[in-house]
Amino acid sequence: MRTASLAFCLLLVSTGLSAQETASRDTALAKLAERIEELQGQLDGLNESYLESKTTVDGLKKIKITGYIQSQFQTADGDGIASFAGGNFPAGVHSRFQLRRGRVKVNYDNDITQYVLQIDVTQNGVGIKDAYASIKEPWLKTFSFTGGIFDRPFGFEISYSSSSRETPERSRLFQTLFPGERELGAKLEITPPEGSPLSIFNVKFGVLNGVLNTANENDNYKDLLGRAGFQLPFTEQNLAIDGGVSVYSGKVRSNSRASYSINTGTKNYAVDSAVTNLGGYFDRSYLGADVQVYYDLPVLGGLSLRGEFISGKQPGTSASGQFYNPGTTVTPIYNRNFAGWYINCVQNIGLQHQFVLKYDEYDPNTDVEGADVGVAGKSLNATDVKYSTLGIGWIYHWDANVKLVLYYDMVSNEKVNASATTASLLPFKEDLKDNVLTVRMQYKF
Amino acid sequence: MKVKAVLLLITMMLQGSIAAETITVKGSDTMVILAQRWAELYMSKHPEVTIQVTGGGSGTGISALINGTTDICNSSRPMKQSEREKLKQRFNSLGVEIKSAKDGLAVYVHESNPVKELTLAQIKAIYTGKITNWKQLGGPEAKIILYSRENNSGTYVYFKDNVLGGDDYAAATQSMPGTAAVVNAVAKDKFGVGYGGAAYGKGIKFVKIKRDDSSPGYEPTPENVKSGDYPISRFLFLYTRSRPTGALKAYIDWILSDEGQQVVSKVGYFPIR
Repeated sequence: MRTASLAFCLLLVSTGLSAQETASRDTALAKLAERIEELQGQLDGLNESYLESKTTVDGLKKIKITGYIQSQFQTADGDGIASFAGGNFPAGVHSRFQLRRGRVKVNYDNDITQYVLQIDVTQNGVGIKDAYASIKEPWLKTFSFTGGIFDRPFGFEISYSSSSRETPERSRLFQTLFPGERELGAKLEITPPEGSPLSIFNVKFGVLNGVLNTANENDNYKDLLGRAGFQLPFTEQNLAIDGGVSVYSGKVRSNSRASYSINTGTKNYAVDSAVTNLGGYFDRSYLGADVQVYYDLPVLGGLSLRGEFISGKQPGTSASGQFYNPGTTVTPIYNRNFAGWYINCVQNIGLQHQFVLKYDEYDPNTDVEGADVGVAGKSLNATDVKYSTLGIGWIYHWDANVKLVLYYDMVSNEKVNASATTASLLPFKEDLKDNVLTVRMQYKF
Repeated sequence: MKVKAVLLLITMMLQGSIAAETITVKGSDTMVILAQRWAELYMSKHPEVTIQVTGGGSGTGISALINGTTDICNSSRPMKQSEREKLKQRFNSLGVEIKSAKDGLAVYVHESNPVKELTLAQIKAIYTGKITNWKQLGGPEAKIILYSRENNSGTYVYFKDNVLGGDDYAAATQSMPGTAAVVNAVAKDKFGVGYGGAAYGKGIKFVKIKRDDSSPGYEPTPENVKSGDYPISRFLFLYTRSRPTGALKAYIDWILSDEGQQVVSKVGYFPIR
């Protein structure tokens, strides 16, 4: 009986203790649940805040700001030389520091629409390089339309960015035919999307004022130009062959009755003074072909060979064979047949080094030879002299942003006739002292 | 003598570019665990080689390859033409593509979700916002919560190109920073749906994928992926800028060897041979 009572008491105590433990556990669990709920609330709040921030960040990601600065030192063989390696040297000067390019580009890309504004800040001031809007149709994602100031759709070298180009400047050919590279107008591009069997082809076609991007239109003719290109990647062989053909068809108004063209018999300019020449239009027409080959050489690295040829008809003036905008100037038109080409070889060595070799030729007047210039009785002048340039360079990529360039341009000119007596032609009896060494640092972001 | 001097100079430059047998690997988050396993095993056998592996997404890896800040890029999608163009501009090379493994891209739902099969067309309709309720698929009356990857992810791009046919994701799609995050989100969300590498499928349920209404559904099992029956499978790539040489070549050769491919199986992907 005593044992039974003891057992009963123990049972009561243990039950009491167990109830106490259960109550305490329940309280702890309730607190834990409360805490979890609180943390869940905080997590939901953070998640909401993250989603809000993400929307803002996604919006900002559409804006891209890029740019580069090219700062350089140049030294030339002679004082005050005319040069295509960054512009003419001032009289009496053969060395200089230049801020060759200082670009800032803002791009808002909404997938099918695009806004681009690029300015160039140098020691000479601020200029507009690109200012255009593009729309890509959303159905086939193949056709896009661009309006504003943009690269002229011709050849390869124009659209190859100055920040990526291995040589400090474009070839004499392009600087002569397409100064500033850009123009004001409209452009249609056909670029079939990746995966399409037609994606190896691309077409660009532009309608432009034809007066350079720094001038306002002054006639009702528009220049038409375009390029049909292909890209053949042989990825297994690490070989790529790209290329294209380009056409330019434009008109230049004459504000003078006098129009000069070469008489191929006499190898001299002949004047045409027909009344209809005043206010008449003369053809500016170019035909070009370009090819680029890329191949990864075992052990050494990537090698590229790029070449381009353009010939055609260029209306200019007596003193210049450059792309000509007559504006209101009353100057006779000089019609010249021209031809030019370049070949460019770049070899990568490892991650940081590139070696460049480039040769270009530009003959502003293919109907005459250097020996015809300076002959008594002929009105040919230095504008009709052919040039060739051999460039050799080394590029060192310091890091992803900085590259250093050492480049030497060796420029050769046709010799004019030994009998030349005109003062401006006398230096052309020999090769001009116009080689230029460029040391450049570029920072790109 | 001059030739010797030039050769010596080139050798020095090349040596400078392959710094002391340190290999950097960057790219696909899908491949990051696989790449880490490869690196750990390889370094244990070749202590003279240091391999640094980071993720960030295929797009990030390809950018790093173009910028010269990684030796190998891991990518769960093929390199785009526009990216090859950038490589061409800077390195005069198209890049070297190496298939290192195969992956079945799984579609995940919550374990309690009664939906067991989806056709490719249904998946496209879900992710482009044309199907928005599980009821339309034979499930409960509940809004479908879409989980995806961020747009620098190769998985995101692959799914968009190959499942959505290039169409845009629905605006309501939530972007997650990695496949593990997608799996986590779906595991906690009864009405969620996500996609990602089959190797990540823990705490969730794989949906069987059908090419169309009349074809059978398949799970992303090794057999189905290898046989090609599973409709959403892809290669996992390694990219280098130029033809690999030296330590880089030795490492890639090892990845493609039987030993390297065994790691692929252990991690949950499928060997390429």
